[in-house]
Amino acid sequence: MKNWKKIAEANDLRIPESDLERIVPALETLEAAFRPLAKTIPDEIEPAITFRIIPEPAE
Amino acid sequence: MTILEAAQALRKRDLSSAELTEAALQRVALLNPKLNAIMTVLEESARAQAKAADEELSRGADRGPLHGIPIAVKDVFETRGVRTTCGSVIFMHHVPERDAGVVEKLAAAGAVLVGKAGMHELAYGITSNNPHFGTVHNPWDPDRVPGGSSGGSGAAVASEMVFMAMGSDTGGSIRIPASFCGTVGLKPTSGRVSRYGVMPLDFSLDHMGPLTRSVRDAAVTLEAIAGHDLRDETSSTEPVGSYLPAPGCSIRNVRIGLPQNFYFERLDPDVDMAVRRMAATAESLGAVIIPVRVPDIPALNAVGRVILLAEASALMEKYIGNRDQFGSDVLALLDQGRLLPATDYVNAQRLRRMMQREFAALWSQVDCLFTPTTPMAAPRILEKTVKLGDHTEDVRLAATRLVRGINVLGLPALSMPCGPDRRGLPLGLQIVGRPFDEALVLRVAAALEDATEYHLAKPAEG
Repeated sequence: MKNWKKIAEANDLRIPESDLERIVPALETLEAAFRPLAKTIPDEIEPAITFRIIPEPAE
Repeated sequence: MTILEAAQALRKRDLSSAELTEAALQRVALLNPKLNAIMTVLEESARAQAKAADEELSRGADRGPLHGIPIAVKDVFETRGVRTTCGSVIFMHHVPERDAGVVEKLAAAGAVLVGKAGMHELAYGITSNNPHFGTVHNPWDPDRVPGGSSGGSGAAVASEMVFMAMGSDTGGSIRIPASFCGTVGLKPTSGRVSRYGVMPLDFSLDHMGPLTRSVRDAAVTLEAIAGHDLRDETSSTEPVGSYLPAPGCSIRNVRIGLPQNFYFERLDPDVDMAVRRMAATAESLGAVIIPVRVPDIPALNAVGRVILLAEASALMEKYIGNRDQFGSDVLALLDQGRLLPATDYVNAQRLRRMMQREFAALWSQVDCLFTPTTPMAAPRILEKTVKLGDHTEDVRLAATRLVRGINVLGLPALSMPCGPDRRGLPLGLQIVGRPFDEALVLRVAAALEDATEYHLAKPAEG
């Protein structure tokens, strides 16, 4: 289990402790579902993020 | 009355746009105090637009089926000179200088904008229980949520305030209110409808689409709003088709996939029965029902949650210093997104590409999928959990479980009424299609609508 409190402090996120306690179970559940999936990704798979270079019109 | 029926009446001079608009404004005045579906009513400009539509139609300048039809748009669509809040106190005084691309297209089609529809704060939730602008209520039972985040759009259409209301859908926010309010809700393919001028919740999952009283009304709206927009980087250049299903359209030999895994697990039994009944109806119309196994949807949902949490938190990072500006549910999601490592986000986008490929293989077996839209009917306001079988589940996670993954894949999906549950509340059938095959999705839905009467049910006004 990650120490979310330390992660929040290290990143200076300023999340009150009571708010942090409220979200930890959801984060833990998501991590448990997501972490094994991330280990299955073949190296050649690129992220599905859009980035296009659009040619500038000639002057 | 539907858009197409009203359009016919307008052209026969049985009705005028001014009359339709007055009727819409009267419905808003009568029902909005109870439902809170419309945040901003645009009486003066709506009357002026209706007058102009009547004048144009009388001289034969016909802009198509939406001409003179009263509509609303979710308060996430920017409207020039009209406050656009995104349901957030942060944007309480935001008066844009531009119209969203969709708003431009609806104006060009002659639609009459009656108001801006209420919504969940920042479009980040499924209840539309908004701490800043009040709770939106479900017309079928005001003690229940209309769904969200486009809850005002669903409530406004279901209560017949307007013929169509635009919504946005990042993880089900058009289809969930359509299911809970008993309307049609169409989430088009990613890139099919411009996101320009729509206040974003997320960069890569947001979709824009209509909520309507009939499938064909959704089709004519899509015809009006679809198309490439240079101002939206993700807008597609794929040609816009003809979406309006013909009268008596056939679905003979259409291959409909009925998932054998995931989608029919942990459902209210009424939902299970209603969706299977629609599949049986489709089969009686000549469609071929094919049992299929779908790829790992819980994994797809986890990927969708990581992407949404990270992107929404990145968007709102500059505002989060003032925590009092956010409702507690939205703040909890934003905090979760801030705690996720960047590697998770990048890997989620890589998994998205892998899953898109896995899902694509399904389209060699079937032409569309039938699933429930939501596993249950509308929950009560402030209800935090729902019991489905032996499982007690968070209401938000339950409501999004069957719809979220479709946003990750960018596929077109439509929710349509498929019958009441034992308490008389609406339920939704979700039809998912191939990329850019909205025409097939709409044709299948229209054939089912022609063969059933679930879409004709109306909430009681008490």
